[in-house]
Amino acid sequence: MKTITNILLVVLAFTFIACDQPPAQIHVREGIRSDTLGSNIVTRPVAHAFSALIGERIEIDKAVTMRNDTGFLELHINGHNRSYDTKQFRYRIEWLDANGLMIQTKTSTWLPASAMGKSSFSLKAVAPRVEAVDFRMDTKKWE
Amino acid sequence: MKTKIIITLVGLLLAGCAQETVNIDVVNDEGKAVMELDYRDFAQAASEMIQSMISSGALKKPGGGRYVMTTARVTNDTMQRIDTDQLMAKIEEELLNSRQVVMTSAVGGKGAPDEMIYEMRDIRDSATGDEFKQETLAGKRTLEAPELSIAGKIFQRNIRYDRNRQQVEYYFQLMVTDLTTGLRIWQKESIIGKRGSNRSVAW
Repeated sequence: MKTITNILLVVLAFTFIACDQPPAQIHVREGIRSDTLGSNIVTRPVAHAFSALIGERIEIDKAVTMRNDTGFLELHINGHNRSYDTKQFRYRIEWLDANGLMIQTKTSTWLPASAMGKSSFSLKAVAPRVEAVDFRMDTKKWE
Repeated sequence: MKTKIIITLVGLLLAGCAQETVNIDVVNDEGKAVMELDYRDFAQAASEMIQSMISSGALKKPGGGRYVMTTARVTNDTMQRIDTDQLMAKIEEELLNSRQVVMTSAVGGKGAPDEMIYEMRDIRDSATGDEFKQETLAGKRTLEAPELSIAGKIFQRNIRYDRNRQQVEYYFQLMVTDLTTGLRIWQKESIIGKRGSNRSVAW
């Protein structure tokens, strides 16, 4: 009875700790924030190894285009890094006109990007021609 | 005789082992990074500058039309012998194609980008000018003065990272100034950092 009560008290304590979440805009990382039942010196290496094993990496969540005040197409991309490690990569945006043809521009070059582990990232690109109506994006590993 | 044959064979073997020349795929270059600034770095810096300039709205002329822009002095403060046109030519091309500005070849930080403008005027004012159809010669007061100028500098900092490695930071700083008012309407800094062996030279 005493053991069950103690276990319940511990679970309750961890529950209260878990309830005390910082605002969503603030990301307090492992090693900085207090450890939890699911993330501590014992479980952390296991979680990291499993993440690497199943190949968690970069995901793109949303790509939004809009015309800015000067009439040029802007591309905003939101993504997140599912891995625990910082991931670096390169991306290239190619702009397409109304016929689906690529617009030749010096801005279509491989640019660097990176995302810290378990973090969101954003990319922004601006078309250098008003004729741009669409885009395509490619990625490659950082050399 | 035998020695001569052996020497010839060894020489042929060594020649065969030499690195052959290949063309770089400049569109999808998988080559490793180098300590100095290469064409990929200039492409990256130019792309960032262009996108910033275009999205800032600073080049949008009130009332419509296009600004006349000149490239003023872009200083190379790195230890490398680079031509700042490696950066500026890309930027000028994209600004022209964006149709927000038109570049002038009549004035520039390194003198007139096209000296022919003034050579033709010298011809017009000389005896040789009589050889030309007068209506085909440029008249006086026809050049348009620039309204905006783009200037800046490229410089580097070398830092000792640890016993075996060094860190080189390249800073690209550009600004656009309204030549009528003297006011700066756009500015950006782009940094490219490299870290490598102390044995690599960055000059």
